[in-house]
This record gives sequence, structure tokens and C-alpha cells, in this order.
Amino acid sequence: MSKNPFLLRAVGLLAVLALVAAACGPAPDEDDEAAPDPEDTAFTWAVTGADGPTMEAVADLWNEENPEQQVELELLPPEADDQRQAMFNDQVTEAGQYDVLGLDVIWTGEFAEAGFIENLEDMRDSVEGTSIPGAIESAQHEGELYALPYSTNFGFLYYRTDLVDEPPETWEELYDTVLEVQEENPDIDGYVGQGDSYEGFVVNYLEFLWSDGGEVFDEAATESLLLEGDHAEKAITFMRDAFEEGVFAADFNTMVEDDARLAFQAGDAIFMRNWPYAYPLLAGEDEDDPTEVADDFDIAPMPAFEGAPVDTISTLGGLNNAVSTLSENQDVAREFVEWAATDDGPQEILAEMQPPPTKASIYENYEDIVPEDQAPVYEVLNLVREDARARPPVPGYNSFSLAVQEELHGVYADGDDPGPALEAVNEAAENALVEDPEDVIEEEADVDEDE
Amino acid sequence: MAATADTGPAPPQAAPQKAGGLRNDPRVQMGGQLLGLAVVFAWCIFPFLWMVLVSFQGTVALRDANIFGGPFTTGNYTRVFEEGFMWNLGNSIFVALSTTVISILVASLAAYAIARLPIAYKFTILAGTLVATVFPPVSLVPPLFVAFNALGQLNTYQAMIIPYVALTLPLSIFILTTFFATIPKEMEEAAKVDGATPFQTFVRVVVPLAAPGVFAAAILVFVYAVNEYLIAFSLASGDPNVMTVTVAIATLDRVGFEEPIGTITAASTIVSIPLIIFALAAQRWIVSGLTAGGVKG
Amino acid sequence: MSERALGRAFLTPAFVVMGLLALFPIVYAAYESLFDFDFFTRTDFVGLANYVDQLTSPRFWSAVFVTIAFTVVSVTLEFIVGMIFALIMNAAFKGRNVTRAVILLPWVVPTVIAGQMWRYLFEQRPGYINEWLGLGAIDWLGSGASMFWAVVIADWWKTAPFVGLLLLAGLQTIPNEVYEAARVDGATWTQRFRNVTLPLLTPSIVVALLFRSVDALRIFDLADIMTNARLETLSVLAQRSIVRAPQPDIANTLAVLTFVMIMGIGLIFIAMMGRDVVGEPEEGS
Repeated sequence: MSKNPFLLRAVGLLAVLALVAAACGPAPDEDDEAAPDPEDTAFTWAVTGADGPTMEAVADLWNEENPEQQVELELLPPEADDQRQAMFNDQVTEAGQYDVLGLDVIWTGEFAEAGFIENLEDMRDSVEGTSIPGAIESAQHEGELYALPYSTNFGFLYYRTDLVDEPPETWEELYDTVLEVQEENPDIDGYVGQGDSYEGFVVNYLEFLWSDGGEVFDEAATESLLLEGDHAEKAITFMRDAFEEGVFAADFNTMVEDDARLAFQAGDAIFMRNWPYAYPLLAGEDEDDPTEVADDFDIAPMPAFEGAPVDTISTLGGLNNAVSTLSENQDVAREFVEWAATDDGPQEILAEMQPPPTKASIYENYEDIVPEDQAPVYEVLNLVREDARARPPVPGYNSFSLAVQEELHGVYADGDDPGPALEAVNEAAENALVEDPEDVIEEEADVDEDE
Repeated sequence: MAATADTGPAPPQAAPQKAGGLRNDPRVQMGGQLLGLAVVFAWCIFPFLWMVLVSFQGTVALRDANIFGGPFTTGNYTRVFEEGFMWNLGNSIFVALSTTVISILVASLAAYAIARLPIAYKFTILAGTLVATVFPPVSLVPPLFVAFNALGQLNTYQAMIIPYVALTLPLSIFILTTFFATIPKEMEEAAKVDGATPFQTFVRVVVPLAAPGVFAAAILVFVYAVNEYLIAFSLASGDPNVMTVTVAIATLDRVGFEEPIGTITAASTIVSIPLIIFALAAQRWIVSGLTAGGVKG
Repeated sequence: MSERALGRAFLTPAFVVMGLLALFPIVYAAYESLFDFDFFTRTDFVGLANYVDQLTSPRFWSAVFVTIAFTVVSVTLEFIVGMIFALIMNAAFKGRNVTRAVILLPWVVPTVIAGQMWRYLFEQRPGYINEWLGLGAIDWLGSGASMFWAVVIADWWKTAPFVGLLLLAGLQTIPNEVYEAARVDGATWTQRFRNVTLPLLTPSIVVALLFRSVDALRIFDLADIMTNARLETLSVLAQRSIVRAPQPDIANTLAVLTFVMIMGIGLIFIAMMGRDVVGEPEEGS
């Protein structure tokens, strides 16, 4: 039987391609990722791959200082769902691949309640007074620390200095300014931010809510205050009006961080709510990512509503490091978590790169630490820092957040009735608090049914 | 070799000869064909072209609906190479080739049994085959993770290859079963008369005759295996040595919330090259296979 | 070896692999769906209560409706275009090889990337699709029907070549003589297509439709990436209760219900192809 020469050639070609491909690129162990000598690897740190280079620098520094107890860095995809899937798999199957978990600030309560992460309350003294208060708040569950702060993130207002003289201090002012500027420049978009149905929208919505004096929970997180007063409705109807009137860009409802950044960077918008990462890019740091606004933008704290008890507000982002309950290297894992929170080394790496650090002293002495072109960011961060707020890391935060995304996106973008939507979000908020999570689940199922 | 293809039910060539009318004018026919092809080209190419052009421009391409605007740069490719992406590509090709070979071999046997051999409960067997493919992938991952973790096989090539084989077997078996079923029984009978054992008959007569089906299945399996993300990420992303391209693309370097669209599209363009080579090579066999097999049989 | 024994031997490897991989998750999910969960910890046995919850939930039925509508529309469109692709790839003309390569391009783009790509294409800024087609400022991905169609179009584009390839392979097994005979009888192209091609192609068509339907019924990536889960299909709903806000009881119940639904639809297809492929219907033991 004659063989199939063409097939053989094709398979051969592919095999060669595979080899060539492998030969072209460096083998993973040789590249610059923090790849320690396996024999000295003491523990694994799983953390998002967003800002991967920063994480690598931090891991490298630790390995330099601790040659006997090296950390292996496991960079997870930046998608929150992927990180959660990887961490849940690890926990539920008790695989225990990860010793230190880099957790989004909103997951503390959920992971603590599930018994995935160790209580770190005994390390409170090392972070109290050292880390910024909002970051500590986000690392707590029922008043006790289950993680230590590592990185943070603040939202602030980017605005066009060529179109606006002074940044608006209130939302009403911003609204009017947009309409005024658009009278002369009908093609320019007003405000861009995070409006797609995802966590970023919750961040934006909470800023509207908080900047009117509204609250999701009382201080001790025992009940939902969402429907106290008309703040929740005012926040969402402001968004709806702004979207309908063209004060928000027409594609605000499908925007995530980088969509907003690209629009603003192309000179398409007057105002933008975004995180600090956009600043160097807008300033022209990456020549393959050109900017139209390098000399025409500045940053300021976010506005608040007129007559609100606060002048500005920012939702905090960032990561906390927690120790997995499955870790067999608890001591070194704790040591690493504490080091990452309190040592100047890793915290200064964060300040020099991205995202911002949680150590308060760095903000006080930022002039000596952060690169000069980043100084304006830290100037504003210092204004924002005191008023920045953590999203409440209650055990059911994610269910609450999904309710906000699923209910309120339609209210502002599609004109759904705010009343029932807010009722549903309020119910989700109540459920997110219930001590016995079994009830949470049952009641949530009911919420689902009621929709 | 390609004689069959030329006489298939091709709409343009085989257009009926109706008396008179515009449709008979060869220039009009030609024009119609070209127009049709142009539509097909535009439909298939434009999104792909968008991807390739963005890979050479980065975010600049996202400013303007005119994707040909430039300026062009190869910077994204350099970055992708620097991140060790070619190693991942090697992994993907290896995993996909292994998956394809195993899946097609195992499926050929099963399909032959279903199509040709006197076994009971064929309907049930076919239905049972389908079971492996009807579970939502997101629901499949947690139990798979449990199993591979228990076996200590996480972050290995087999953690991808075994699930891929299982998940592609239903498609391969169904395709091959239909193809084996169309092969004239007389050809097998003839082989038997010549003294071939059932197994020899299968290898020498049936498989070559079913070549179009075999290669169609091979393309589909290969492409599936290269493009799979969820299982590759969940079961085998822990070791950079075995990480495949889809996972590598998801973890390309980025700053903050930046969506590195330039490097993502560059990486995807690179991935498509071996896929197209494989698909075209196998596709030639879809079209020429029958004639070749027929001659030999 | 007897043919019967050979048959069993031939089937064994496939069913061992599939059985190990597929049966375990299904049995696992079916078992777990009978319990209540305290986050990830199994608590009380509740029998079929989780099923009652889901089957009486409007949200579940809405997801079923979206999923089935998506499947019917996208598979129909993919079938039509896939058939055209197959006929083109099968035809002899100059530049056929280039055409074949071009037709396969959409299929080789990983779904995750295709989703991102189409998201950019449909977005209003800079509005590629809107501008290329002169549509003005359509908000494709925001909500409602336009979002449904955007995802359908992306899926259509991505998987029509899959159907095309399968049908092309099917076309190749139709012997020339059959066409020759029909042509001698004076059949027009349309008649030959309807009376010769379609009947002989039926097995391939059924396989293509079966696997496209099974896939479309599990649609997740495109809906998740392009609409951030606003287009809530069954798999999107399942993923929500697996990853976003873990509720294993709901997740497992949804998985089993999806399984039952797809299997039911699959059985209809198998019954359709059964006689063609298996020869006689059930042979009994």
C-alpha cells in the first residue's frame, strides 16, 4: 500500500514548524519571568496577569532577598472570571497549588466565609497605621483581617484643558459643561467611563451613589441602606438622563476601561472617569499607542452631587494578598504577605510601575519615589485618598454586584423602570449580608425566580 | 486526481443551458460568478483582514474605521516573540497533532464497527457517543479538574490531549460512520474474496475510500484542539512549559486595564498560519481522496 | 476474530475514553444537583427541589428561549452559507485553492479571539460595521434584538466553514456516474441538486446540523465576550452560578437540564440519520 506522500509531507511540515517555533522562542524557563530554581521554591503566589511585569519585579525582589525560600509566580489571566475559576478549582479539589492568593479587593468576604483563606488578624499591628485605611477595610471579614493590603487603585476625573478651564466640582456642573462645550464642538463626546454590564459599572455606579451621600450598607454591615432616601434612584436616573442627553458618550453602555481610555486618548471626549494606568498612556509613554491629548489633559478628583456631604469620592480597586488554608507553607506565605504589604521594596516597585501601592508613607514622600512624569497622579491621589472608599467586601458581594449589573444597566441604558430594579438590588444587598449563607443561596434563587 | 471535483454539482459550470436570455451570455455568467465570489471573499476576509491589519498598527487602528490608514509597525510581533510565544505555539501544534491522530484512529475503529460490523444496539451506541459532547463546557471543567488532580496529571500535555480526544470523538465517529456507510459493500466483498481478513479490509479498502471524511474530521479536530481555551487554561496553565497559545494570548503582558489588542491580534495571526497550512493540506485530501482510494481499491 | 468480536474490540477504546471523561462529570453533576449547598459545601439532600426551582423560574425559561432561538437562527444561516461554501470549494475554477483558503479563514480564528474581534467590529467607536455598511450609529451590542443578531452574525461567520467542510467531504463521495446519468436525462442544475445531491448528501447534512446544533445550544464565549453576558443563554446562566457567584446546586441543576435538552434534540437527529447510516433499524440483541 503506497503511503500518502502529501499527508506525510503536511504532517512533517507541521512537526518541523512546531520544532522551529519552539526553537525560535526562548524556552519559558530561560525568559525573564520569575522562574526560581525548583529546589529552592518554597511557595506559589497566584495573582492576576494584569500588570504582570510589576508582579514579576516584586517576585524577583523577594527571590533576591530570600534565596532559600523562593516564590514561584503564577500569573493568571486578567479576566476576573478566569482567576476565580482557577482559585475555586484549586480550593474545592483541595489541590493546594497556590499558597498566596492575590485577591481582588471585593473577594475577601467571600473567600473568608468559604474557608479558603487564613485569618490574619494577628498581623493587624503591622498594617494598621502603615497601609491606607480603605485598603485595610477591604481586607476584612466580620471585622477581622483575612488578607493584607498589597496594591490599590483610585478613580479620578481626566479632563481636557483645551476645552475646559477648571475641572467641575459637581456632577451638575459637569453635565452643564458638557452641553456648553458640545454647542461649539458638536462632534465631541462628553463623558466616558465604565458603563458595560460588569464590575467596572458597579464601581462607577457606587461613585454616583456615594457622591450623593448614599450608602449600600450601614457601618457595621448589618443591613442594606440602599433605599434610604432617594440617593440610589437619583444616581441611576442621573446616569440615565446623561446617557439619553448625550452627556455620556453614545457607547458608554458598552465601555470598559480601555474603551474609555482609547476614546479619550484619540481626543474624542471631554471628560473621563478612569484609573491611574491611563495617565502615562495619555501622556504619550508608548509610541506605538499614540496620543492626541498629550498636552491637553489634566486630572482632578471626581465630582460629587450638589449639596452632598462629600466633596469627592473614589471607589478603591486593587489587590490584597491572602494565605490559602490549603497551604503547607503557611509560615513563609505569611511572611511574604506581610513583606508585600509593609516593606518599602515591593511597595516602591508598585509606585514606580503600576498599580499604586497601599503603603501610606509612599504617598507622603512620593516626590522621592515615583518617576517624575507620574508625580501629578500622586498629587491627585493624595487629594482623593482620604475620601476613597472600599466596596464592602461582604460575603455575598458578588451576588450584589451581579444584581447591580443585571438590573441597573438596563435602567440607564434601555430606560427600564428604576423602581423594581432598585428593589431587586436592595434584596440582593440584604442577602449578601445574611450570616448563614445557605439562606443567601435560597433567597437568591427566589430573586432569580421573581425576575 | 481531481477529476471528481470538476464534475460535481458546481453551480457556475453546470449552469443549465436555457434557450436565449441574458443568462446565457457568458460574460453575464462570468460577471455573476465573480460577483458571488467577491461577496464570499469579503464576508470571509474582512474580519480576518481587520485582525491582521490591527496587528500591524496596534491601537491606532481602533481610531478610525478605515483600517488601511497606518502607520504600520511590526512592533507587536516583536513583543509577541519576546514573550516566548513561539514555544507556546509549538505546544499547541504538538497537542493538536496528538489529539488529531488519536481521535481519528480511535474514531475510525468505532465508526467502522457501527457502520459495518454486525453489532447490536447501534442506535443506542450512536446516542451514547453523543453524550460526551452535550455537556456545557463550563460544567465539565470542575469534575475534570478533580479527576486530573487526583491522578497528579495537572499541567501536563495529557491533561489537554485526553479531554480533547474524548470531546472530539463524537464528531469524528459520526463523520466517519456516515462515510463508511456510503462505501459500496461490493468493494469489501471483493477484498474478502481475495483472502483479506476483516482488519486488512478495513485498513486497505475502507479507510482510503473514506478519505474525504477522514480528512474533514482531521481538520475539524485539529482546529478545535488549537483553539480550545477553557480546558487548556483550567487544567494546564500552571506550567509555562506546556502552556498553549490560547492561554498565552490571555496572559500577554499588559499595564493595568490596557487591552493589548496589538499583541493579541499579532499572536492570533501567527496561530492562524499553521492552522491554514494544516487545513489546506488535509483539504486537498478531502477532494482528491476518493479518486486515489478508488484507484487503489 | 469474528466480526462481532471485532466490532466490540473496535468500539472499546472510543467508549473507554469517552466514558471516563464524559460520564463522570454527568453522574457527578446529577448527584450533586440533588443537594443543597452552603457555598461550596454540600449540605442537605433535597431531592428534586433544585429542579422544581429552575423549572418554575422565568429566568431559566428565558435563557432556554434565547438559546433555542439562537440555535435555530444561527444553524439555519450557517447551513445555507455552508452549503454555498461547499459547492464553491467543490467546483473547478481558476483560483480555487485561494478560495478554499479564504473560506477556511474564519474557522481558524480561536473563538475567544473571534469574540473580541467582533466586539470591536460592532462597537460604535470607531464603528467599523456601521461605517463600512453605512448604517449610521447603531448600538449593536447594547441590548435587545440587535445584540442577539450581532452574536448570531459572529457565530455565523465563525462556523459556516465548519458546515462547508463537512458538506464538501460529503459531496466528494457522490459518484460521478450519478451526475452523468442525471445529465444525460436532461436534468437541470436545480433538478440535479434537488434530486441527486441533496438525497445523497443527507448523512453529511444531518451530521453537520447535529453538531452545529449541539454546539450552538451550548453557546457561551461569544455571548459572554461580546455582550458581557447580557445575552443570557443557558451556558451563560450556568457559568454565572459556577464562577461569578458560586451556587453549585443551581449550577449542577442547570448542567443536567441542559444535558437533557441537548440530548433530546440529538436523539431526534440520530433517529433521522439512523436508517441511512446504521442500515437496518434496531437489530435487537
